[in-house]
Amino acid sequence: MRTAYKVLAYLVATEVAVQAMLVVWFFAGLGKWVEGGGVLDKAAMESEGTPFPQVVGIIAHGINGFFVIPGLALLLLIISFFTKVRGATRWAVIVFVLVIVQGQLGGLGHDFPLAGALHGLNALALFGAAIYAGRRLRAAAAVGVDQPESRTAAPVS
Amino acid sequence: MTGQSRRHPPHGRVNAGTPRSLRIALSVLATVAIVAPLAWLWQASRVPTVYSVMTMGYLDYGRGAMADMGGGGHSGHMQGPMVSEDSAPSRLVTDMIADPGRRADVRVDLVTRQQMLTVGGRSIAAFTVNGTSPGPQIRARQGQLIEVHLLNESVADGVTLHWHGVDVPNAMDGVAGVTQDAVPIGGEFTYRFVANQAGTYWYHSHQVSNHQVAGGLFGSLVVTPRSGIAQQVDVSAVAHTYGGVRTINGKAEDLRVPAEPGQRVRVRVTNTDNGPMQVWTTGSCRLLATDGTEVHQPTEVFGRSVTLTAGGRADLEVKVPSGGTAVRIQVSKATAVIVGPPGVTVLAPPQPTDELDLLTYGSPAPLGFDPSHPTLQFDYRIGRRPGFVRGWPGLWWSINGRLFPNVPMYVVREGDIVVVHIANHSGEVHPMHLHGHHEVVLARNGVAATGSPWWVDSLNVSPNESYDIAFVANNPGIWMDHCHNLKHAAQGMIAHLMYEGFDTPYRIAGPADNQPE
Repeated sequence: MRTAYKVLAYLVATEVAVQAMLVVWFFAGLGKWVEGGGVLDKAAMESEGTPFPQVVGIIAHGINGFFVIPGLALLLLIISFFTKVRGATRWAVIVFVLVIVQGQLGGLGHDFPLAGALHGLNALALFGAAIYAGRRLRAAAAVGVDQPESRTAAPVS
Repeated sequence: MTGQSRRHPPHGRVNAGTPRSLRIALSVLATVAIVAPLAWLWQASRVPTVYSVMTMGYLDYGRGAMADMGGGGHSGHMQGPMVSEDSAPSRLVTDMIADPGRRADVRVDLVTRQQMLTVGGRSIAAFTVNGTSPGPQIRARQGQLIEVHLLNESVADGVTLHWHGVDVPNAMDGVAGVTQDAVPIGGEFTYRFVANQAGTYWYHSHQVSNHQVAGGLFGSLVVTPRSGIAQQVDVSAVAHTYGGVRTINGKAEDLRVPAEPGQRVRVRVTNTDNGPMQVWTTGSCRLLATDGTEVHQPTEVFGRSVTLTAGGRADLEVKVPSGGTAVRIQVSKATAVIVGPPGVTVLAPPQPTDELDLLTYGSPAPLGFDPSHPTLQFDYRIGRRPGFVRGWPGLWWSINGRLFPNVPMYVVREGDIVVVHIANHSGEVHPMHLHGHHEVVLARNGVAATGSPWWVDSLNVSPNESYDIAFVANNPGIWMDHCHNLKHAAQGMIAHLMYEGFDTPYRIAGPADNQPE
């Protein structure tokens, strides 16, 4: 279970990095396309097909953000119940809440661009939290905390 | 006690003091507490493999004249479960047809195909009507009976034709699974309706419309007034994006319209895409009509763009300058119509920062009914929230807080004066399209309209905007009331308007595989 927890936590962190790459890849492609005379308005955004190849970046960003990362965070939370490590659930909850906040900020960014800026900032918090969650499990494993305390601690006299 | 035993691990500890079995039970319980509601929501979101729109969602009787509908008073807001399928409504959508004894004035044969098209140098998997996209323009004079014979030659999913903006009899509305079955390969269907409203319209498939319209299964329909038009040149500009390629009338280039200096030109712009676009001109123009209805006393427009929502139409009048130059009508920044002497070029005018506000444009005129005393009032609140639609998790569009298929079926009676409050809190623009009726805008964000009556069938509702619109329930049947970003429709942004006592013999999915979205 701990391995699963670690893997999921690191996967969340990896996905955050992938998200950052995808969205910048999209904007770089958009910039190049506009430089070449491409026009982006809502009609173009909502059309079928890809006016420039990097459109895939924003589509993948959406699928990752709406489905994959929340799914990973939810699995992390469920797995955390079975790791028998104190704090594992707390950090899984923190990661999960940050994922939800991230999605909300992403959506709100359509209305309030400043929320989009916070979406970028929250991504760093989520990345950090996911890395920390994974690392502390590794640290916990290194000192053998999976052993019940009654076996490792002498009775208090 | 040893020093070793007092050491605490740096990052975590076991859950001391809790019996192992209890810990496992708690963990399982917590898992169930998370998974069970999700499973329930997932299960509840699934739709039957075959269903009638009559059993979808819930009946919304609105606020207003409900006393005799069993709602108990005029002030409440009544909702109820859908009628069971074995209740016996008196009328079917198929009953609502044009006079079968009347001879057609305009006859058109349309053949739909699935084929490759080259647009702007790109090869596109497309849908065509009579071998082209857009299909042939249908022109009629006001009052004429149009008869269109549709043959589906090769569109695998089947097709229908919906007459966007024309208040046709319900059986002719062309919505697969609601007013007819999708026409399979080799199948035929005949549409007959009287073109009572002069104006600019279009037709498109309403079977898998998300893909078929994007792929080109549409065409233009123009109904000229009995008295003719005041302009010397009449031209249509149908904007569409094929696989990312912006076009006018199917060509990825500017549309050149020859016209003499001093001539007035009517440019009928139709937006067949999924999102709004801006339209503006060099010099000035007049907005003659919106969604097929004339603006009353339109004034000259300088330095403003006209917002043309998805599915919407705008008729602009421009005058060719006397100095030998031309007028350029930008249909978004990507495409343009150039009107004037052949060969004359015009630089693209900069896009105005301000949009023409139709709330105050033109002069007031009688509506033909009194919307200040509606007999029914509905809410169409658009939101967006996480949940499941058809078993898929996501951030989905909601109507009045609920997700597809738990959407309202607005119930009206013939003769009702209906006011609908549309509010958009979803963060994205929605082009709202009610079939079979024209609606007049009463107010936006609570500010009353003071210009010409602003009639729409496709209304651009931007984020954080609200509209109050009114219409007369004068076209009985069952009508879609949906977002004309057809992707959004496919994602569940679909409600219906039904006249009390109506039913449909058609089914969504089923043997004809009807998929109207």
